[in-house]
Amino acid sequence: MNKEIALARHCLEFALSEGAEKVRITLTRSLMDLVGVLNGEVDKVAHALDRSMQIQLFVDGKFGTFSSNCLEQEGLEAFIREAIGTVRMLEEDRLRDLPAPSRLAKDAKTGLELGLYDETISEFTPERRRAIALESMTWPRKTQLEKGFVLISEEGEYSDSVFDSYTIDSQGLEARHTETSFEIGYETTIQDSEGNHLSSYWWDAAPFFKDLKWQDCAVTALRRAAAQIGPGSVPSGKYNLIVDSECASKLVTPLLNALGGYALQQNNSFLADSLGKKVFSEKLTITDRPRTTGQTGSRLFDSEGVATKEMDIISQGVVKTYFLNTYMAAKMEMAPTVEDATRICVSPYGGCISQEDVLSKVGDGILVTGFNGGNSNSATGNFSYGIEGFVVKDGKIGTPVREMLITGNFIDLWNKLTLAADDARSCMSKQIPTLAFRDIDFAS
Amino acid sequence: MINEKKYYLDIFRVDEISLDALIAEGLRSGGSYCDLFFENTTYGSLLLRDGAVTSGGSHVDFGVGVRVLAGEKTGYAYSESTSLAEMTACAKAASQIASSPSEVSPYGTRNPSRGEPNPKADRYPVETNWRDVPMTSFLPFLQGLETRVKEKDTRVQKVMANLAFQVSDILMYNSHRELKWDTRPMGTVSVSVVFIQDGKIENKAVSRSFRCGAEFLSQSLAEEMASEVTSGIDARFEAKRPEGGQMSVVMGAGASGILLHEAMGHAFEADFNRKGTSIFADKMGKQICQKGINILDDGTLKGNRGSLNFDDEGIPGQKTYMVEDGILTSYLHDRISAAHYGVRPTGNGRRESFRYAPLPRMRATYMESGNAKAQDLISEVKKGIYVDEFSNGQVQIGEGDFTFYVKSGFLIENGRLTMPVKDINIIGNGPAALADIRGVADDLAIAPGAWTCGKEQSVPVSCGIPTVLISSLTVGGSANE
Repeated sequence: MNKEIALARHCLEFALSEGAEKVRITLTRSLMDLVGVLNGEVDKVAHALDRSMQIQLFVDGKFGTFSSNCLEQEGLEAFIREAIGTVRMLEEDRLRDLPAPSRLAKDAKTGLELGLYDETISEFTPERRRAIALESMTWPRKTQLEKGFVLISEEGEYSDSVFDSYTIDSQGLEARHTETSFEIGYETTIQDSEGNHLSSYWWDAAPFFKDLKWQDCAVTALRRAAAQIGPGSVPSGKYNLIVDSECASKLVTPLLNALGGYALQQNNSFLADSLGKKVFSEKLTITDRPRTTGQTGSRLFDSEGVATKEMDIISQGVVKTYFLNTYMAAKMEMAPTVEDATRICVSPYGGCISQEDVLSKVGDGILVTGFNGGNSNSATGNFSYGIEGFVVKDGKIGTPVREMLITGNFIDLWNKLTLAADDARSCMSKQIPTLAFRDIDFAS
Repeated sequence: MINEKKYYLDIFRVDEISLDALIAEGLRSGGSYCDLFFENTTYGSLLLRDGAVTSGGSHVDFGVGVRVLAGEKTGYAYSESTSLAEMTACAKAASQIASSPSEVSPYGTRNPSRGEPNPKADRYPVETNWRDVPMTSFLPFLQGLETRVKEKDTRVQKVMANLAFQVSDILMYNSHRELKWDTRPMGTVSVSVVFIQDGKIENKAVSRSFRCGAEFLSQSLAEEMASEVTSGIDARFEAKRPEGGQMSVVMGAGASGILLHEAMGHAFEADFNRKGTSIFADKMGKQICQKGINILDDGTLKGNRGSLNFDDEGIPGQKTYMVEDGILTSYLHDRISAAHYGVRPTGNGRRESFRYAPLPRMRATYMESGNAKAQDLISEVKKGIYVDEFSNGQVQIGEGDFTFYVKSGFLIENGRLTMPVKDINIIGNGPAALADIRGVADDLAIAPGAWTCGKEQSVPVSCGIPTVLISSLTVGGSANE
């Protein structure tokens, strides 16, 4: 990376010398190796090295974003010269600016501060990757595992990667982030005794290989597929909704999008004018914890180089912050924050730790273990999603269901929150536990 | 938009001797096939927001992907440099696949296409190359589009208009010594509008995307997009959620082609069938919908977003009937699946960029017109919905369950369109939905929007359909309205 960093510094100085008033440059580099397996054999190997330089130029009160993966000095100089010419042709926008220096991250010098780099990654060989991928399969044991079904297909991937980003700007910002990632994922299809195909998946990821639960992944995918045998039907109506932590982020992400500056500034957000107001149930608290050492999703700075910080997003139903970068804050005449949430956490509520606790307290309802399509309206908050899952009766998981839909409005939904467990998956950057809501519209 | 061979060799700084050397390196460990995919893409974009074009940029993506096959197994590596040393390292990395023990029969498909690219057969001729025009010349188009939108509806509060264009130079070479080249343009305009009425907010977005040059940006295009994005707004403010449940659905001509893409197209992609996961894996040659229905995937429509002179494996773009007279007649193949099934590739081997190995992917998927009249299909429905605007869809290949999200439509009551509806998801099962098609109108339309398929990688596609009546799908909605 040292060679690329020197090039980035040169490009910044070159842009200034060519007439740019201010410049920000972000360099990214990632190295990834992957082994895929299909039905008991290695099916795919891949090796990838990516490098890219993004150059943001502020010229004569105008702004443009440019990038190239051709990292040769002579070519980049010509590219920058042309880019500056392009920016000069755009319309003026004096609200575009770099963040105030006091807001910039000053503690991300080496990239290693958050403890997300596993040094053992350098010890991984092609042979070891193959061994992990092959040893994690269930296919060689299929005849012992097939009980009431036939394993049709088992496809998995193991990969490890190093990601490095380096951001500098013309007012002295220098911020670096380095992390390793080890990932495994399986998708399994079975055929039941009536000839129906049923499929499911499971995955895990961790910054450190020692934390990757690679041995369990294929078995879990198979178990989830087998659990869908014998689906029943449930009539349309209102039911308690329990959402598995694996897929619960589907209901949280639209809230964060609605709190983003780009939606708010365009009046295209169902959370416009919500700052400081109690909009949701007091049972809902969402925080951003971007500086948690060693955890997936942590970052010391956002894409502008602004220092992240621990903060409340929604506290007991009250909206505590918007996400406004320097530009959106200036347009909205508000104080800037960070560009977006980094590692959000939904706080437990109701004394439940596990999904079993939630099911026991809820009693009857429908447990959603996966979403199948759907979308929401950013202006109104209306949503409609396909779901799959299980009927819950007396706190116990029962008949599988699929081809059902849930429909509603996000503000209404989150006012019907009843429970939040404490079982978020550590592999996810969004720490969302199992959630329960009352009286949700299901169609079947 | 095809140039001479030398143009491509020069861009990528390679010659035919070095291409052969790379292929040899890729096959050194015993691979049965090797191909190289060179790409040089330039992107440009301009964004109008709050009345001014204050944001723009350009981007360059350059590199080469090396793929080695050992039977049906894939080794893949890529480089962002075309120096011989780095490309050789990629070929070595990709060749590792051949050291994996395999019981699969050797790769055998050869000679699916010979001959050089023919500029006269170009499916996307360009009058004005995006690369040759300064971006400043595009500003008036976006400004004019915004003006027309505001003139058409006083409820318009915010307008965002985006122009994105790209030109990709592609060079492909393989171990059959086939050298192919192409230059693929794409122009996309999207406009997103926020309306306010009595304190209520609604939004609507419209896009147009074609393989074409900058001549695309005409006054008539701005007028067409402004009209479309401001139409149906009264209904949108009035729209309600219907009562959810199973009901008949009439899918309007054009964008309803998403039904074909999600419910059938993915399940017809041969990789899912080769692996046995698709619900259509054992349906080849069988009747899967009513006689008279023809469904195809077409890479030959002039200027269409999904069209290709050659796919990303060097196979000529072509038209592929998947369903003929209601019978499943073909999957969509890349070279691997074609070899598996012992058929010729169908030109569906596509990839997002040089960073990805190709997969069987759709191009423009549509159903041919039938004999019915759209109004007659609506008249047949006692209780159901009519839908014609969508945002996204998804399918579960194994089960065949598909969904698509409806941005707007109408209730059908006693054969007439009544209450406007919006923001509902529809779910169904692919084989069941195909079998439940009860009528096909004579009004096939190809959707002109910026459709992108996200199966592992993003590729531009298109879809179309005449108005069709499906007897039963599950519609999202309220339980008690």
